[in-house]
Amino acid sequence: MKILIVDDDRINSTILNRLLARDGHAVVIAHDGVEGVDVFRRENPDLVLMDIRMPQMNGYEAAREIKRLVANRFVPIIFLTAVTDEESLVQCIDAGGDDFLTKPFNRTILQAKIDAMERIRRLHGELRRQKEKVERHQEQLQQEMEVGQHLFAKIVSAGNLLDAPCLKRWTSPMSVFNGDLLVAAYNPAGGLHIMLGDFTGHGLSAAVGAMPLAEIFYEMTAQGFSLSELVEAMNAKLIAVMPTRMFCAACLIEVDFRQQSLMVWNGGLPDILVTDGAGRVVRRLISTRLPLGVTALTREDRKMEIMEMKPEHRVFLYSDGLIEAPNLGGEMFGLDRLMSHFNGQVNPEHIFDNILGSLRVFRGDADQSDDISLLEIDCSRAGEEPPGGVPRRSEKSLPPAPWEIAFSFDAGTLKNVDPLPTVINAVMSIQAPTGHRERLYTILAELLSNALDHGLLGLDTDMKKTPTGFIEYYNQREERLAVMESGFIRLSLIHEPVVSSTDGRRVGGAIRIRLQDSGPGFDFTRVQSKLEGNSGHGGRGIALIRSLCSELVYRGAGNQAEAVYRWTYQ
Amino acid sequence: MSGTISVERAERETVINIKGRFNFEMHSQFRTAYQEDTSKGQKGRKFVIDLSGTEYIDSSALGMLLLLREEAGTNESDIEIVNAKPEIRKILETANFQRLFKIS
Repeated sequence: MKILIVDDDRINSTILNRLLARDGHAVVIAHDGVEGVDVFRRENPDLVLMDIRMPQMNGYEAAREIKRLVANRFVPIIFLTAVTDEESLVQCIDAGGDDFLTKPFNRTILQAKIDAMERIRRLHGELRRQKEKVERHQEQLQQEMEVGQHLFAKIVSAGNLLDAPCLKRWTSPMSVFNGDLLVAAYNPAGGLHIMLGDFTGHGLSAAVGAMPLAEIFYEMTAQGFSLSELVEAMNAKLIAVMPTRMFCAACLIEVDFRQQSLMVWNGGLPDILVTDGAGRVVRRLISTRLPLGVTALTREDRKMEIMEMKPEHRVFLYSDGLIEAPNLGGEMFGLDRLMSHFNGQVNPEHIFDNILGSLRVFRGDADQSDDISLLEIDCSRAGEEPPGGVPRRSEKSLPPAPWEIAFSFDAGTLKNVDPLPTVINAVMSIQAPTGHRERLYTILAELLSNALDHGLLGLDTDMKKTPTGFIEYYNQREERLAVMESGFIRLSLIHEPVVSSTDGRRVGGAIRIRLQDSGPGFDFTRVQSKLEGNSGHGGRGIALIRSLCSELVYRGAGNQAEAVYRWTYQ
Repeated sequence: MSGTISVERAERETVINIKGRFNFEMHSQFRTAYQEDTSKGQKGRKFVIDLSGTEYIDSSALGMLLLLREEAGTNESDIEIVNAKPEIRKILETANFQRLFKIS
């Protein structure tokens, strides 16, 4: 150990030097405070023995200066003093001294004090190294978090339509990562899919599960899969990748403006509240399913609840973090405080902000203990498009070529699978007519649902004319589909390129869609005439197809349809 | 701030008593409580989770119950959740855990 002695008394310093040298220490000596600081700078000793009364700069000042020089390192300073009055000793400690040694020097005590200081110095060094290590880890973690956060934001908010005019949302993650997943996207038919998911726990581990779900949500919604199929795929994914103790309480909603209906699936989230024009709760959509990622789903588990949507309806959904948010006293915000906002005394427009306001006041400076999310759907604005319009998938058209695809679906398949996404995705992968996905989707959706609903299931199209009838229609459809035993739908799509008469280039194409079902057919002349000018709830199917297609004919008993859709290649 | 766990073992039944807050901090305590039985691979043991002293339950605790269900051999074992206070019962029912456990 290198020891600096600062003492103007040469006899003292000589004695000390000898004692220390005998114990194997390297010694450097200074004779006043100024020199002491200089030598300290130059020699960088491990310990300092400091006299108090010295010319130029006294021991207190020199000690202060030295301690300033080594702010990050522990260099013990032991004062050498002849006095033992309390005040001088206090001054020693105040000046940054770590101990004192009274003259005349006793070798044993000197040794003991140096050993003790050495132990403290080592401990200090160890602490410092650990602190640096922690800081390095912290830094590394911070960087990894930032990368993760970027990825998370890109994946989870890719094409997110939370700026849809009918949505109001607020989410407050407890840490950098949000374990609450809030996503929305339009399907090709213009329906809005919304999902709120709340993963077990919070932070990174919860957010990791959110990423595959967000991807499934966007991808399958864009491809035209139904909510039931989204639920099925998400559940299967979570079971496959998540540990048993992790799951995701979730709610999926489809806002169908055309049918003026809401489809809801609630697995494990608190009651979803639907309010009327006065802001009173008129309906609660309670959780009737297990959360996602717990067990395989039955047919029943995938079923949606369907309700009529009225313009005055507002739908509120939230994660349990809202009602469980604690204040400084450890009390929870609670259901009663939340429900007090739905007393019918408040303009429903303000309920959302009022809830957040009262939550803020209640929480005060209390730490957040979970992720919190609140979402409102304003049904009066369900038909409005987002400011930037509905983003379309960018798909690159392939040059028009002749092709033909045929499908045949039997009852067993139709019971379990919606053929529509399969058909539309086949067309998109062969030809990908840019900008035509939504129109083709609508045409095929109408043709297929006519064949299935009316042809095979014998449902009455007139039922769909009123909103309540539509719900009844939907429920009957589910029931009949579940017990359907026979029947088929055959579909073929034949594409012919359209050739320019001037230069022979292929400028577009015509897709001939032929559909046949095993049902008894219908009197198409009657239905068609009835549909003139009908823009009500249901039954518009045929009119809609006619408006998008260049031809539409029914054949046979009315169980064969043929439509032609034309597109231009750019 | 978390809860405490006590265990009573009879020949064919294990009663796990959870007092206070049943949250993520209880993970290893809870696991230790049942693993003494489940690790032996013994079938047909009944587990009773007594929540009479439980003041709060979070989603991590629900996850622990799922873990017990799995490690106890899902269907062969009998797991019963008893004496839950109304607000805790509400949380269990929101998650529809009555489909996986006997709740009484």
